[in-house]
Amino acid sequence: MAYHSPYRAPPQINAPPDQGFLWNIFQRVDKDRSGVISDSELQQALSNGTWTPFNPVTVRSVISMFDRENKGGVNFNEFAGVWKYITDWQNIFRTYDRDNSGFIDRNELKQALTGFGYRLSDQFYSTLIEKFDRQRKGQVAFDDFIQCCIVLQRLTDVFRRYDTDQDGWIQVSYEQYLSMVFNIV
Amino acid sequence: MSFHYGQGYPGGGNLPPGSPYGGGHGAYRPPPSAQYGGAGQTGAPYGGYGAPGHGGQYGPGPGGAPSGPYGGYGGQPHGGQPHGGHYGHHAPAGNLPPGVNPEAYQWFLTVDTDRSGFINLKELKQALVNSNWSAFNDETCLMMLNMFDKTRSGRIDVFGFSALWDYMQRWRALFQQYDRDRSGSISGTELHQALAQMGYNLSPQFSETLVQRFTFRGGRPGIQLDRFIQVCTQLQSMTQVFRERDTGMTGNVRLNYEDFLSGAITRLM
Repeated sequence: MAYHSPYRAPPQINAPPDQGFLWNIFQRVDKDRSGVISDSELQQALSNGTWTPFNPVTVRSVISMFDRENKGGVNFNEFAGVWKYITDWQNIFRTYDRDNSGFIDRNELKQALTGFGYRLSDQFYSTLIEKFDRQRKGQVAFDDFIQCCIVLQRLTDVFRRYDTDQDGWIQVSYEQYLSMVFNIV
Repeated sequence: MSFHYGQGYPGGGNLPPGSPYGGGHGAYRPPPSAQYGGAGQTGAPYGGYGAPGHGGQYGPGPGGAPSGPYGGYGGQPHGGQPHGGHYGHHAPAGNLPPGVNPEAYQWFLTVDTDRSGFINLKELKQALVNSNWSAFNDETCLMMLNMFDKTRSGRIDVFGFSALWDYMQRWRALFQQYDRDRSGSISGTELHQALAQMGYNLSPQFSETLVQRFTFRGGRPGIQLDRFIQVCTQLQSMTQVFRERDTGMTGNVRLNYEDFLSGAITRLM
């Protein structure tokens, strides 16, 4: 199929952690011992490196990606995917956050997204910073960076599906438009 | 100069982490277009779009539907009661702050167990229940929290919560009105009727698809109040984006990639 996702292959940066290691982490994060890690449990376990709570929207996005039964959390098997997903993003983020500040600035964001293959105008980067800079520093923290990339991926994916001749333009009706953007944003 | 000609979206280079479903859509993959307008459906693929007997091209927005707090919160009267500029003001317990809904105030005190004067997402979840006593889902709580959290701190004070409460109660009244068979949930047909009365011109299939997407697995098809609020609020917001671009009121827009992205992203809640 022509519009297969370009994101099929996550970078293989880490060797997969062994099950015992993950199980230990899972048990520590699953505070109420329910066997399922909820949004707030995961949020408390994650750090964005800036001493502020991890973006709950990012937590929700990541959990919903791996929560196959729509149960509002992830079980141990699904948690392995969450763990890998977050650490992969962490490694990417670190390569752009060269001074280890926990933030990437506009230029670094541009480098990162350009590295992923996006070609976006300077004005659009202003929109991104405005929207994803939760701490209002003119920079983007790790958790907000993930959310920014997730939203961009989803929107790009759905745009691509409609842009069948790949000219970067689509023509859509009102209802088509709603179907495209509903629940991405 | 950074906008190379071309689609602009990624093709190669370093790929960001992939999600398990290939497309990165999580649970809410938009319906495949084949579902609309496929064989076996009669007439135009998009239902009543511009069909005779219907009013405008698309929803004129909220016909009687509660409007969000965009831009208004903190300054202008909401629900008839002025808020004043009380941000950061900590209300003493047992003393109803001016302009705050008494019922909302009681709930606020109940869930703000650490008496911080603010409630976060987890505490908010404890205050909001559907008619079947299930807690509001995380997406809707987050969406409303973000709507009324003007400082983007991830928490709201009693004034923000009171405004959120009023907003929810107005949707609750509509929900009960449109739940015609009093089943406690809104079916696809009921949602279609609700949206039509709010002024949206959308096909019955659109509502059916939404309801199916949000129905609990194994449950009777229907949505609870939390999803109803989520669906209606997003519809308002996305209709606004479309309307701004559909200057000729044709019901169709031509969008380039970046305009599509910014339209959706600036309306992020």
